[in-house]
Amino acid sequence: MSYDYDDDRTLRERIEANPRPALVWLAGLAVLLALELGRVARAIVYIGSLTRGFLGGAAGVPGTVADNVAGSLGGAAGIVGAAITALLLLAVAAVLIKWLFVPVSLVNRLGLDTGEGRDEIIERGLITVALAVVAALVVFTPVGAALEAAIGWLTDALESAGTIQTLTQRDTIPNQGYRTPGGGWEGTFLGLSPAVAWAIRVFVIYAYSFVVAAWLWKGYEVFREHYREADWTPRDDSINRFRTHYWGIFGLAMVFAFVVMAIFAPSLGPVTAEANLYSPYEYEFQYLEGGELQTVTQGDANLASRSQGGSDNVGPLSYDQYDRWHPAGTNQDGKDLFTFLMYGARTSLVIGLTSIGLATAIASALSMITAYYKGLVDVLTVVASDTIISIPAFLLILLLNVLFAEADHPIMDIYNGGFLLALILAGVYWPGLWRSIRGPSLQVASEEWVDAAKSYGQSPGMTMRKHMSPYILTYIMIYASLMLGAVIIVTAALSFLGLGISPPTPEWGRAVSEGRQYISGSSWHISTIPGIMIVFVVTGFNALGDGIRDAIDPESEAGDASADAAATGGGA
Amino acid sequence: MSQEPVETTFTEPGADEDVMVEVRDLRTYYGGDSMFGGPPVKAVDGVSFDIKRGETLGLVGESGCGKTTLGRTLVQLESATGGEVLFDGTDVTELSGKQLKQWRRNSQIVFQDPDSSLNDRMTVGEIVREPLDVHDVGTPRERRQQVRELLDTVGLQREHYYRYPHQFSGGQRQRIGIARTLTLEPDFIVLDEPVSALDVSVQAEVINLLEDLQEEFGLTYLFIAHDLSVVRHICDRVAVMYLGNIMELGPTEELFADPANPYTHSLLSAIPEPDPTSDSDRITLYGTPPNPRHPPSGCPFSTRCPVRIRPDEFAHLDDELWTAINTLREVLRERERADRTTTDRIRELLGRESRFGTIDGIYEEVFGDVTVPPEVEEPLDEAADHVRAGDEASALEVLFEAFGAVCEAEAPDYYTVGDTDRESFCHRHGDEYRSPAEVLDERHG
Repeated sequence: MSYDYDDDRTLRERIEANPRPALVWLAGLAVLLALELGRVARAIVYIGSLTRGFLGGAAGVPGTVADNVAGSLGGAAGIVGAAITALLLLAVAAVLIKWLFVPVSLVNRLGLDTGEGRDEIIERGLITVALAVVAALVVFTPVGAALEAAIGWLTDALESAGTIQTLTQRDTIPNQGYRTPGGGWEGTFLGLSPAVAWAIRVFVIYAYSFVVAAWLWKGYEVFREHYREADWTPRDDSINRFRTHYWGIFGLAMVFAFVVMAIFAPSLGPVTAEANLYSPYEYEFQYLEGGELQTVTQGDANLASRSQGGSDNVGPLSYDQYDRWHPAGTNQDGKDLFTFLMYGARTSLVIGLTSIGLATAIASALSMITAYYKGLVDVLTVVASDTIISIPAFLLILLLNVLFAEADHPIMDIYNGGFLLALILAGVYWPGLWRSIRGPSLQVASEEWVDAAKSYGQSPGMTMRKHMSPYILTYIMIYASLMLGAVIIVTAALSFLGLGISPPTPEWGRAVSEGRQYISGSSWHISTIPGIMIVFVVTGFNALGDGIRDAIDPESEAGDASADAAATGGGA
Repeated sequence: MSQEPVETTFTEPGADEDVMVEVRDLRTYYGGDSMFGGPPVKAVDGVSFDIKRGETLGLVGESGCGKTTLGRTLVQLESATGGEVLFDGTDVTELSGKQLKQWRRNSQIVFQDPDSSLNDRMTVGEIVREPLDVHDVGTPRERRQQVRELLDTVGLQREHYYRYPHQFSGGQRQRIGIARTLTLEPDFIVLDEPVSALDVSVQAEVINLLEDLQEEFGLTYLFIAHDLSVVRHICDRVAVMYLGNIMELGPTEELFADPANPYTHSLLSAIPEPDPTSDSDRITLYGTPPNPRHPPSGCPFSTRCPVRIRPDEFAHLDDELWTAINTLREVLRERERADRTTTDRIRELLGRESRFGTIDGIYEEVFGDVTVPPEVEEPLDEAADHVRAGDEASALEVLFEAFGAVCEAEAPDYYTVGDTDRESFCHRHGDEYRSPAEVLDERHG
């Protein structure tokens, strides 16, 4: 049958056979990326430098060990120690590489079958040797220098690309300018007023983000229509249900707005955080006073534009006396509240994603392991999670936070305590997540397809990944989105109490806290606007969670009591 | 089916002795390994039988008799508590790791529920291909090709490769499950009630498919079922299971036509007779199957057997009275095992009625409308005294001394019955007793 041949093609072959839709889509994507080439290049350079730093650190370990051992046991021992450490590191890397990148059994392919269950070890050994050869080539031969040169050249290229102006950059549509004596504006976009210029920039940023999101969605549709082998998947039904779930779409819109805020924070504010929040006395600007151009630092200007109730107030959507535009007014220190909020979104998102990501990883791994093996590992996990749950979560977070802060632990310095907070939150919230998905995971572990996998010799790890995780991940997505709201509230609450993220890193809760004494006066906006934003974002995440739940599980809409109870049990 | 002579080799007389699976005193217990779990559930309690190459061995019995556990133990989905399962001479209960994984290619299982045995999130192709991926057979392209051919073989279409299980009916889903078991070209397949979840009209199609596949690939089946007519149709030999034991095992036609074991008798009498004028008598078993955590001593069927051996001195008692005595013993056994709560104990101390009821109440209920002769009355009264003292064990002892017989005292042997090598697990096949059929005729007319 010729049909057979047609049907048995890889994705690449299918695209080659009908390249038009894919090319059109790719062209669109290229245009969108070209508009933001500079930003993309900077992001790549940044990720590259992080990776390089990590690899460099790992590569430095054998040297450190060599120095330490050589100091106490002599030079030869140092070399041996370094070699052993290097091998250990490579072995760890081999396990990771085997897991991530090598889907086939090398032993079977090379015919090295020994039959004694040593395959895994031999396999890892082979990869370790291969890695060692590569590492030795890099370190001891000119290959290393060539590689270094190639990376350096690439970095340079990317860095020069990073200087290209992008569509959503501040400089493209500048809003910081001064009034001219003639009544116009100098330095702003097309001579428009700062308010209008800023509004245009915000609009452009959101429009661009929306187009990118829509285009990615379009890509999925192109794939679905032209290249996917299956003409229907269970996911299609879920997506169709979500499309008519308006509460869920509202949530998605809120979350989208929030994420865009976090990503484009530097461009969204009328002024940068560096200039207005972190080092206000190092940045100067010009303004018109009495027909003369004056120069003043941001810090000095802030002092004169504080919002402290009464007549000292710069409210939302107003200019201060230096003709700076404040879309959300200023705070009690005269800093721009809108800029503060945009960067605060970034803080919240980073902490939320880090902590929930970690908690989700722990919870899903444990839930699958406990559901699959049961027995002792299950009992231990129950005891551990019950122990953590039995302590009031907020108290525990406070306690740990104060403990690390008082001890002045170096981990406090990362992201002004944000990283520590994320770790603490992950440690406190994984038991709740694990509990919420325990039912579904026990259920899926008792499905016959798990038995079937065992009956033809599938390994436990692969069984969990292939046959259990798809079911658990959909559930955990619901609870994670609900809990992300809880994390944002807890972070804000901690800042409100003066703990957690320390100043000057912007955090919404701190704004609520600092503005609360002015709430009854003219400076009501300092507390109110961040408070409302917290409400909207948290509601948005909850609505999204509801939407995902109803989309995945059509029965829950019909008022299935157990599904409802399960879905609401995991909230804050 | 083809008529070529080659196809008939499986039924040649010489092939009869070609034993593929030997099961020896196999036991599978659940629980019981923990400190607080109490005695284990004896799901499979010492079974031995052979499966010959190319045959279909049926395994029948009521729900909970351990037939599914036996099937799952044979393919090593449950680990055996004791005994051996020899596949071509290798004890597979001892295998582990890579050897177990290699062996699994030879024996597969088809599950009962086609809704639960297929992962809904994978396409049919992925489901059927997974065993090939696990054992790293051929190149990906070859695997896909092989899966398509298999889909063809089990009566699906090749283009179903990229469909999802949702899109199929129950019968089609079971075909997918069957295709998956065939991917590794096994010799032996356990069919765990493969058609009981399907519509009757679809059952026949799947049964025919299984028969065709057996012919085509020379498969050996263990067919687990509770539908006796299906078993009669497809199986070469049948094993009848009750409470973890095999009660009777023999060639299908002979076993159905002339059952030897009392349990087989009662099981077969449960098949509905389509002829309304038929005068065949249904044997009603009293009570429920015993708890496999506390199986009866002696013969597993002794608590409900319609032809239980009775002591000679009570041979003249009528059946109604025997039923009452059996009920009483059953009640006392339950009481003995039941945990008394503190409240129960206090109520008993205060002379108040606990939820267990008094022995007088029980006697009233059980013996209310039967006449009890004095020689029977005596042990009953003695037992009642023990129960009043809270000692059910002694009461049961008294009743056993009076009314018990070899059935409860010791486990029977397997007797060879009939013309072929049929085996039955019943004391009544011994020379000193009358045969089950004879007694059954007498007691149940």
